[in-house]
Amino acid sequence: MNDFLLFLPEFSFIIAALVFFVFSLKKTSAPALFHGWALTLAGIGLVVTVAASHQEGMLFFDCYRVDLFSQIFKILLALGTVWVVFSSNELKGIDPRQHAEFYFLVFVCTLAMMMLVSAVELLTIYVSIELSSYSLYLLVSMRRNADQYVETGIKYFMIGVTASALMVFGISLLFGVTHTTYMAKLSETLPNVIRQPAAVIGLLLTLSGFFFKLALFPFHIWAPDVYQGAANQVTAYIATASKMAAAAMIIRFTGLSSAASPDLVKLLIGLSILSMSFGNLVAIIQKDIKRLLAYSSIAHAGYILIGILSMTGRGYASAIYYATAYLIMNYACFMVIMKIAGDGHNLQIKELAGLHKRSPLLALTLMLGLFGLAGIPPTAGFTGKFLVFAAALEKGYLFLVIIGMINATISLYYYLVVIKAAYLLKPVREYAAVPVDTWTRYLSIALIVLMIYLGIFPDQFVSLTEAAARTLF
Amino acid sequence: MTSMEMAGFPILSAILMTTVFGLLAIIFIPAERTKLIKQVSLGFATLGLVLCIWLYFAYDHQRGGLQFVERVLWVKSLGIYWFNAVDGINLPMLLLTAVVLFTGIWTMWELENRVKEFFALVFLLVAGVYGVFMSMDLFWIFVWYDVSLFPMYPLIAIWGGTRKEYGAMKLTLYLLAGSALILPAILYLWAQGGANTFDLFELQRIGFSAFDQKLTFVMLYLGFGILAAVWPFHTWSPVGHVAAPTAVSMIHAGVLMKLGAYGILRIAMTLCPEGTAYWSNLMAFLACVGIVYGALVGLAQTDLKYVIGYSSVSHMGIVGLGLATMTVGGINGAVFQMFAHGIMTALFFSSVGYIYDRTHTKIIPELGGLSKTMPIASSFFIIAALAGIGVPLMASFWAELLVFIAAVQVFPVGGVLALAGLIVSALFMLRVVQKTFYGEKNPRWEHIPDVNPFMAVPRIILVSIIVFFGLFPKLMLDIIQGTVIPFASRF
Repeated sequence: MNDFLLFLPEFSFIIAALVFFVFSLKKTSAPALFHGWALTLAGIGLVVTVAASHQEGMLFFDCYRVDLFSQIFKILLALGTVWVVFSSNELKGIDPRQHAEFYFLVFVCTLAMMMLVSAVELLTIYVSIELSSYSLYLLVSMRRNADQYVETGIKYFMIGVTASALMVFGISLLFGVTHTTYMAKLSETLPNVIRQPAAVIGLLLTLSGFFFKLALFPFHIWAPDVYQGAANQVTAYIATASKMAAAAMIIRFTGLSSAASPDLVKLLIGLSILSMSFGNLVAIIQKDIKRLLAYSSIAHAGYILIGILSMTGRGYASAIYYATAYLIMNYACFMVIMKIAGDGHNLQIKELAGLHKRSPLLALTLMLGLFGLAGIPPTAGFTGKFLVFAAALEKGYLFLVIIGMINATISLYYYLVVIKAAYLLKPVREYAAVPVDTWTRYLSIALIVLMIYLGIFPDQFVSLTEAAARTLF
Repeated sequence: MTSMEMAGFPILSAILMTTVFGLLAIIFIPAERTKLIKQVSLGFATLGLVLCIWLYFAYDHQRGGLQFVERVLWVKSLGIYWFNAVDGINLPMLLLTAVVLFTGIWTMWELENRVKEFFALVFLLVAGVYGVFMSMDLFWIFVWYDVSLFPMYPLIAIWGGTRKEYGAMKLTLYLLAGSALILPAILYLWAQGGANTFDLFELQRIGFSAFDQKLTFVMLYLGFGILAAVWPFHTWSPVGHVAAPTAVSMIHAGVLMKLGAYGILRIAMTLCPEGTAYWSNLMAFLACVGIVYGALVGLAQTDLKYVIGYSSVSHMGIVGLGLATMTVGGINGAVFQMFAHGIMTALFFSSVGYIYDRTHTKIIPELGGLSKTMPIASSFFIIAALAGIGVPLMASFWAELLVFIAAVQVFPVGGVLALAGLIVSALFMLRVVQKTFYGEKNPRWEHIPDVNPFMAVPRIILVSIIVFFGLFPKLMLDIIQGTVIPFASRF
């Protein structure tokens, strides 16, 4: 019975997926009904996940670990799913006949990622990551007018499969050096062999599977095209929930090599610098707002990595904080995008012109979200950067932090371009006012409050993330 | 120190909250009710001013040191404190902020375009300024510092004038590039301190190695120096001033630029005395170049706001020179100059704003003979110009006197050169006054009414402060000196 309780969050999403599996068998489609069901089920899932937040234990022959670390990320995953489902009330980017499949795949993917953050055995991890990846491959190619974006699905699939091939190869190398696939044993044996090239390469190749999900340079190539080519809701899902799982896994794996190999750290520093600089510099020239956010997500992967590569408890805690802040801010931006592009088209930056008149609340949400991404206080984004940089400086990476801050300044430029469009530009043609329903209004206000509250009063949440980071060792 | 210290009513937080509540109040007023928004704004600004004046009288300068301390642990795991206090250095700055906010809002009484957003952003900006001046915790100083910077972008880009979008973007990116140096330096000091605290004075007690001091001092100096318009990082400043609307120019040149100099004094010089000594020649050199360069470039300008912008570069150079001397006299003068220059520039921009709103030009050759058509408006500008030159009986006279006495002793060559720069600046100020307000009358402006009594009030307040502290500089210098003497003894 107790084991069942441990698995309850995942179980609730299994049920949700099954319900939509049944719906998908029917020939008729009822988008409004489906949305109601999906929102209810996702809501229940979130409530269950929050209720299970203090569970601890092991499952399935010690392959599966439920601890504070995994439960925090499960809450973030469930939260992201609820938000994306909430914003799917006008799912215009996807054929109505496929709505049941859309929700089915979203729930399966969430389930897979929840299993991922709890998995502590290499093959379990591999199975979970493949389950989530295949759901995403399908979700990405579901977009209406798929022929226009056909390249997207194929590109995503090809790069994804390559990344997972690398990952399996890495896992086999790790097994070869350590003779185990259990992470608990790995963490005992790996420090002894971490100076062997095979161990470092194995760890790096395994990590590259997660780098792909996080869109870290040089595994980022899919991100701009997928962000642009997928339906807005799917993009929002990839940009929020799926990043959480990737961040969690990178933290778990880096935590393995607690006797830090200097080569690994140097490599991660290099990747982080490249990711930040590349993402921010290319984002400057973007015209499509989803592409812009894709490049910004590449840059943010670099910032999260700064916290992780410090390889201290504070570093991992700061990365968890940063990931949470990123989830909230990024969703705030995507919510506004989905709302404005009600018919599901790709929003151009210039279409935001005059937004502050069309919907002052959405404009404010977007502005705070973008300022948060740029790391301007008093938002959660600033506090996240502050914590991440503090962790890096404890290890004396001054140079890395200066580069990170220079990148934050560069990123401010393109975020300001978007804010300028929303607040300053005169629209070329009349755009209609954006209708904002009551629930969206409440959610906007909640997001604004959350972004500022976490930024100004981080004390409790920081303690929580530090407690979660302690469960890693 | 215990984790919690509250000496009675938290007056400093109350001053800060006048801006936060002002901001919230404005947000909840419907945008159409512009009159009410202006009244509420002025009300909250008055409240802040009253509290600051009370603070000025309640501060015991015999005792000196930190007073009205509020210290609460904020984030335990990082050692961040909500730590506000006043001493002789930030008290004049708080008073300056309150005065400039009050007069600035009054000056913008005639604004009609997007009133609600304007006043909301002004309050956000001033919340940041108050916060920087009263915080004694590095985390909060940085947070408030950034909060005070980013509202500048919309304020200039929406309500600004000449090349507003270019000016706004340039200013924002320059200043945030400065904070890209400040944050790593602050975090580096925190990490090296090893005591897990961002409390400025605890870090001061811990002390840092000579290498750390030299490294972080130059980062902090350059980072804050950008905002203090230290040459050669000043180029954003005239462009930004010209582009900004009147009240924003007033707050910006009057108060915001002081944040930079204050940051150098409060963080860099407090935590890195050896670093200051190591880099003081560079500071003095850049300051002297700034003084001379600002004056010479000002000489060639034809736009009234550019003239004031470059005179600000020159005057902030005087502040930098005073700090570089590391003597009691020099730092006294620098702090007093920050106050005096803030009030003076606010008056400058306020009077130019009036002229520009009526004539829609600020090009000097197009004006001319204004003292005949609008004698009162002209007199405000002329008084500000006299204060800028450093005429006796004006507050800035004493400030400049103190700085130059110290500078000539410590840096004989640079000090004399800077004095020569001062003569050039006198020349260009007088030239501007002569061409704009005397000389041939331009018939185009004959119909323009003079400042009405209501709109004259803020300018009269500024003039009377300049003259008051010019007549009684002791009232300000006693307060400043009480803190600067122990401060300078550490060099």
